[in-house]
Amino acid sequence: MTRPARPAVAVTGIGAVSAWGWGVEPLWAGLSSGATAIAGFDRFDHGGYPTHRAAQVPASGATEEATPRRPRGACLAERFALAAAHEALRMAGFGDDLSGERAGVYFSSSTGGMFEAEQYYLALRAGERPDLRLVASHTVTVPGDAVARRFGVAGPVETTSSACASGALALESALAAVRRGDVSLALAGGSDSLCRTTFGGFNALRSVAETPCLPFRQERTGLSLGEGAGVLVLEAVDAARARGRQPLAILAGAGSAGDAHHMTAPHPRGDGAARAVDAALDNAGIDASGIDFVNAHGTGTPLNDLAEWQALSRVFGRRASRLPLTSTKASIGHLLGSAGSIEAVATVLCLQHGAVHPCAGAGEIDPRTPVDLVRHQPRRLGRSCCALSLNLGFGGCNGALVLAAADRES
Amino acid sequence: MPDGVVITGLGTLGAAGAGAQGLAVDLAAGMHRATAIEPAPDGGGPVLASQVPTLDLSPWVPASLARRMSRPSRFAVAAGVMALHSAGLDVASGGPSLGVSMASTFGPLGYTQRILDQIRADGPAAASPALFTECVVNAPASQLSIVAGAGGPCTTVSGREAGPLLATARGCNDLVEGRATTVLVGACDEVTPLQVDVLSRLGALAVLPPGGSSGPLPFDRRRTGFLLAEGATFLALEPAGQAERRGALPIARIRAWGSAFDATATRVGWGRGWTALARGLSDCLARAGISPADIGLVVSGASGARAGDWLEARVLRAVWRDATPPPIVAPKAVTGEYGGGFLAAAVLALRGGIAATPGFQVDPEIGLHPSALEGPPKGCVLVTSCASGGSASWLVLEGS
Repeated sequence: MTRPARPAVAVTGIGAVSAWGWGVEPLWAGLSSGATAIAGFDRFDHGGYPTHRAAQVPASGATEEATPRRPRGACLAERFALAAAHEALRMAGFGDDLSGERAGVYFSSSTGGMFEAEQYYLALRAGERPDLRLVASHTVTVPGDAVARRFGVAGPVETTSSACASGALALESALAAVRRGDVSLALAGGSDSLCRTTFGGFNALRSVAETPCLPFRQERTGLSLGEGAGVLVLEAVDAARARGRQPLAILAGAGSAGDAHHMTAPHPRGDGAARAVDAALDNAGIDASGIDFVNAHGTGTPLNDLAEWQALSRVFGRRASRLPLTSTKASIGHLLGSAGSIEAVATVLCLQHGAVHPCAGAGEIDPRTPVDLVRHQPRRLGRSCCALSLNLGFGGCNGALVLAAADRES
Repeated sequence: MPDGVVITGLGTLGAAGAGAQGLAVDLAAGMHRATAIEPAPDGGGPVLASQVPTLDLSPWVPASLARRMSRPSRFAVAAGVMALHSAGLDVASGGPSLGVSMASTFGPLGYTQRILDQIRADGPAAASPALFTECVVNAPASQLSIVAGAGGPCTTVSGREAGPLLATARGCNDLVEGRATTVLVGACDEVTPLQVDVLSRLGALAVLPPGGSSGPLPFDRRRTGFLLAEGATFLALEPAGQAERRGALPIARIRAWGSAFDATATRVGWGRGWTALARGLSDCLARAGISPADIGLVVSGASGARAGDWLEARVLRAVWRDATPPPIVAPKAVTGEYGGGFLAAAVLALRGGIAATPGFQVDPEIGLHPSALEGPPKGCVLVTSCASGGSASWLVLEGS
């Protein structure tokens, strides 16, 4: 059954910062190689922690160097966000000043400037009087606000912080805003940095794998944390074409739902996740049969992957085990609040390149989660493909996005 | 949505206790309930904040659940359940069509501090998983969604001082666009010594005499900053037709919602971009078919912050241009900043009963004089918030 479609919105620019480097080019090179960027890291001293791997962004890179007028004392999350936003705007053909556009920023973050704020707090507790600039970026609004200030945005600016579903929810909000006509241009994305609180906390939950995570594998033992940013420029397809820009992809739909179950464990039957996917499909005006591949939340924790498989089974039925599936997290780690944002960028890259990037790591597929995992090398897609990107978060927040190849506009 | 969005329930928890009645009394008396923070920040005098007193929350939060929750989560669940009760809705049977949209500026900061203390004192292996679970900014909203059985969208937004109105707007959009049929919208924050330390060093907090003889002074020439506050407020929102069909009496109708950004703001302060904000507010009103002349009262988010109040005033003057702005009340003189008290006060303002600041002194750079509000206002009520960092958001309410 085909439901009525809502107006499609084009992705006209993407930007990224990840452990593979600063920019979408190194991101795609890393993703398509099938390797993992999860390795030893030196963002902070992790000697006393049970695990010692994460996906850390390199010190600097081309897209940060190209970002003009970086604010002094910017925290890591701001730096990532600004570089990714600048890259996305350039790609979309916009300049640095959006004050003449009806632009809005729809951002996500779990940690904001937490890494720097931790330094402030620990110094304070040690009896020092630390520099206030360390804590000035503490709130989760800081990356999105920094993007809005830097590029002169005058429209709505909001930050979503619903744990690991934040990125998808921010994109859902941006999509709705463009469709409503609140804005003609939305900068939608997220940014997070590694920090002691999340690294220590997830380790305290025994949720972090000692080796790079292995989504949907029998041997999986937990997640791997990462950092970085992903930003997408969204605008109505007609508006993009009127500017002479071709869509990179179409953000066809988005949906969200809650498990109402438990603070850390996902619903065992994937209830909220399945309803989020159903909502996204309905929002996109397509049936489950219209999805050609899945970019899963795929953290590599025993419970998450199982719950996610349950959700996919409910939505796709028997087809769930034949649908090509990947997880970006095996390559660049779990970016928490901005996972959904950078994974949406990764999904757009798959659609652009006509291939699903492989899911890094070896090991047998868990027979309890019999997914068709794309392994070792990119898997070619047909034309006019449609993808599902799914994220499940602490507290039972779930977000799903439907992204389509640019030639799937209708 | 042809039949509009209505507020059918209100739950609030703050320094005035649990429920709207205590807050209403304080608003009518113009009395804040700030108490000294313990421990006081190093090297400074006592700092006052509007803190939630020790309360029995068991009517709303079962003890078996409360023991696993941070303070903000207990606040949010209590206020959210109060809102459901107030709306005549069953708790725990929310289902997939009940959503939650909540704002928080700082999240459960107390638990984050405790985890860092554990790591510092005893090493990373000492970090408590129970504390970490409650560190995430969305913990209060998620705890409420679990207690209420809310399977709809569960969203936590942050927009600093503009957060509560942004969360309300998000919830309204969820209703209008069919993502939920009932939404609990609100805000929640807690006060911690770390916030006091940082905000004091930033010069953001009002310098208040001990004993509560005077409070923050929104728009006043003598204002020195805002009163830090904690607590939670939730509103139950639903489509007007749905409320009518189930016999619920709306508290108010939400006529419009919107937001904009001042790109001249600094990371922690306010800017001077009133033109962009005024344009955003004017567009918000125009889209809803409301003219400035239809506004009978402004419930201003002015808090006593020197730059924030100045910007707020400029925005209002720019929207009203040569016309005289309607009466303005500034309830953050009583509720303080953060914790959702302002959102509750905005709804209560529809009944009247907000005192003016005694001995108010006009700031010639602002030229606005908040007035007392005795009875229900005529016309629509504009609720405003200009946040540090640049965000601004608005609601237009109408008495039912």
